[in-house]
Amino acid sequence: MAATSPPHASTAAVRRRRLFPYFRHAVLIAWSLIVLFPIFWMVSTSFKGSGEWIAWPPHWLPHQPTLYNYQQILAVGPLATAPSREATEQVYNIWKAVGDSVAIATLSSLVALLMGTFLAYSISRFNVGGKNFRYLVLTIRMVPPIVIAIPILMYYAVLMPYTTDLLLGVRISLFDTYVGLGLLYVATTLPFVIWMMLSFIDEVPYTLEHAARIMGAGRLYTLRRVVLPLVASGMMVTFLFIFILNWSEFLLSLTLTQPQVSTLPVLLNKFQSAVEGRLYGPQAAIGTVITLPVVVLGILIQKHLITGFSFGMLRK
Amino acid sequence: MARIVLENLVKTFGAGVTAVAGVSLDIQDGEFMIFVGPSGCGKTTTLNMICGLEQPTSGQVIIGDRVVNDLEPGERHLGMVFQNLALFPHMTVFENIAFGLRVRKVPTADLNERVSRIAETFQITHLLAKKPAQCSGGEAQRVALARTTISSPDVLLLDEPLSSLDAKLRVEMRTELKRLHEQLRSTFVYVTHDQAEAMTMADRIAVMQGGRIQQLGTPLEIYRRPANLFVAGFFGMPTMNLISGRICDSDSPRFQSENLDLKLPAKAVPRTGTDRDVCIGVRSEHVLLGAQGAAGRVQLTEPLGDETLVFFDYGGPSQLVAKYRGDRTFNVGEAIVFDFDPKGVLVFDAEDETRLA
Repeated sequence: MAATSPPHASTAAVRRRRLFPYFRHAVLIAWSLIVLFPIFWMVSTSFKGSGEWIAWPPHWLPHQPTLYNYQQILAVGPLATAPSREATEQVYNIWKAVGDSVAIATLSSLVALLMGTFLAYSISRFNVGGKNFRYLVLTIRMVPPIVIAIPILMYYAVLMPYTTDLLLGVRISLFDTYVGLGLLYVATTLPFVIWMMLSFIDEVPYTLEHAARIMGAGRLYTLRRVVLPLVASGMMVTFLFIFILNWSEFLLSLTLTQPQVSTLPVLLNKFQSAVEGRLYGPQAAIGTVITLPVVVLGILIQKHLITGFSFGMLRK
Repeated sequence: MARIVLENLVKTFGAGVTAVAGVSLDIQDGEFMIFVGPSGCGKTTTLNMICGLEQPTSGQVIIGDRVVNDLEPGERHLGMVFQNLALFPHMTVFENIAFGLRVRKVPTADLNERVSRIAETFQITHLLAKKPAQCSGGEAQRVALARTTISSPDVLLLDEPLSSLDAKLRVEMRTELKRLHEQLRSTFVYVTHDQAEAMTMADRIAVMQGGRIQQLGTPLEIYRRPANLFVAGFFGMPTMNLISGRICDSDSPRFQSENLDLKLPAKAVPRTGTDRDVCIGVRSEHVLLGAQGAAGRVQLTEPLGDETLVFFDYGGPSQLVAKYRGDRTFNVGEAIVFDFDPKGVLVFDAEDETRLA
């Protein structure tokens, strides 16, 4: 930049140009601090004993760091066996919820990714659904989840068992099942997958497929060997995006499950006791545990995230 | 073998857009046929119907002795090189070349041998492990050709394959393509909008415009005896001089237009050409700058080394151009005298624009 400036540029302009990177970084750093503060607070609280949770003035860092909260929620250490004196000392086993969350979020994200990719391909290449379908797809997301949560509860818990009992003589209910919640997660994230994958698939030139076709490759072979490898980064990005959505979904899970199936965000909300109110320590510990897999996943596919985002979005 | 017959091919898109409006053509086995015309003339659509990427609205495509209208592109035993080459960016050059063989499940040993053999032919052995993005323009071109020819197709279709290359490389690749055609002896159908490419490579040229073939013939036939004004104007650099006017008196004919009155030799004028509105066409090499004829004034010169293009004004609606071979230099504004070489004068009907014979 500086090399292209004319030799007689005013010193003020030069100074402004030189200072701009500092200004930009100052803004970005300030913004990151605002965004990261709640996460810092959560992690910090997860290492605090019960006396420090709501201490005033606030303890920015735990004065007496403890793993107590983690021992409680993960049901490990001395707590797992010793009898408890207070509510805060109870063991809350979250392993079942971790398993449920991992299973439901992973499977429904994979199913949605697979279905959505094929749908996006057919919309991109064959104009399935007409010219405006790609925009209409997103309108599903405009419905607030609470609007559909109650009708679906009725449907799952009352209408379905009643109908199947009448027709087949068996009561089949999707209430409080993996399939029931998973289906809804697929349905609610599918529009995002279609929308995101469309932008990636639209970028793959038609002629590549034509060339493959002339060399004798069928549709599926071309899709598998030519199109999908080219949008692999996009699929990674899309997967991470909907995985986070499904992983942290609260409302549908709260409404449609209990007690058999229970996901982490719902469990998190249950941590309160009659004596002490909200159990901020264990809640913060669960919050940290919930956040970790997403962060790790993000780091693992970082390379794809960058190429993925620059492939589909920026180049337009 | 691979003779290609197109019978009255028509392709319409949606409501009222006719890309190809009835093309009938007989391409001989082993011929180098070039479709040439401006963009939107239907040449690429015709090519796509031959290879099967487009279904004809009506008419037939016959390759060898089979009607292939209902065959998938992969079943027609042809190869195609695309304008953007369509190399798979995520595969190595080796995998790109081997793609067609992998589709047909050729055994690995056989596949490896064939790929290395074709890579030697095209001198791209050193590129086999690279990705297409790491190849130069000419190298990528050869990779695309290797990929297309490895399965020795009966017909090779080429859709403006040289348009992305720089001028020097394009001329080199022309020679290479011609040599390749002689080696393979398969039928080549080549689409281009560049008349120079068509002239230098083709056995026969089909000049297309408005979804129809305007003229079919060898390069020299098309250059010397263009069927109509469109073909005359499309071929040749610089563009043919065209002047509207009338030819009077069939015994000692004179061409008369608003600002020009030139005597023409009787044999240059077709019998049907007299006493009607015509347009005469004269190529720049048939415009003689000398001692007799009509007067003009030099407007611009373009020295090409061995010859000079002289653009001059004669008082008519457009300027004329002469190709001058010799040592004389022309200055802008200089007065000159020009005449037409009688054997180079073509007469076109002013109404339907066809050449009068």
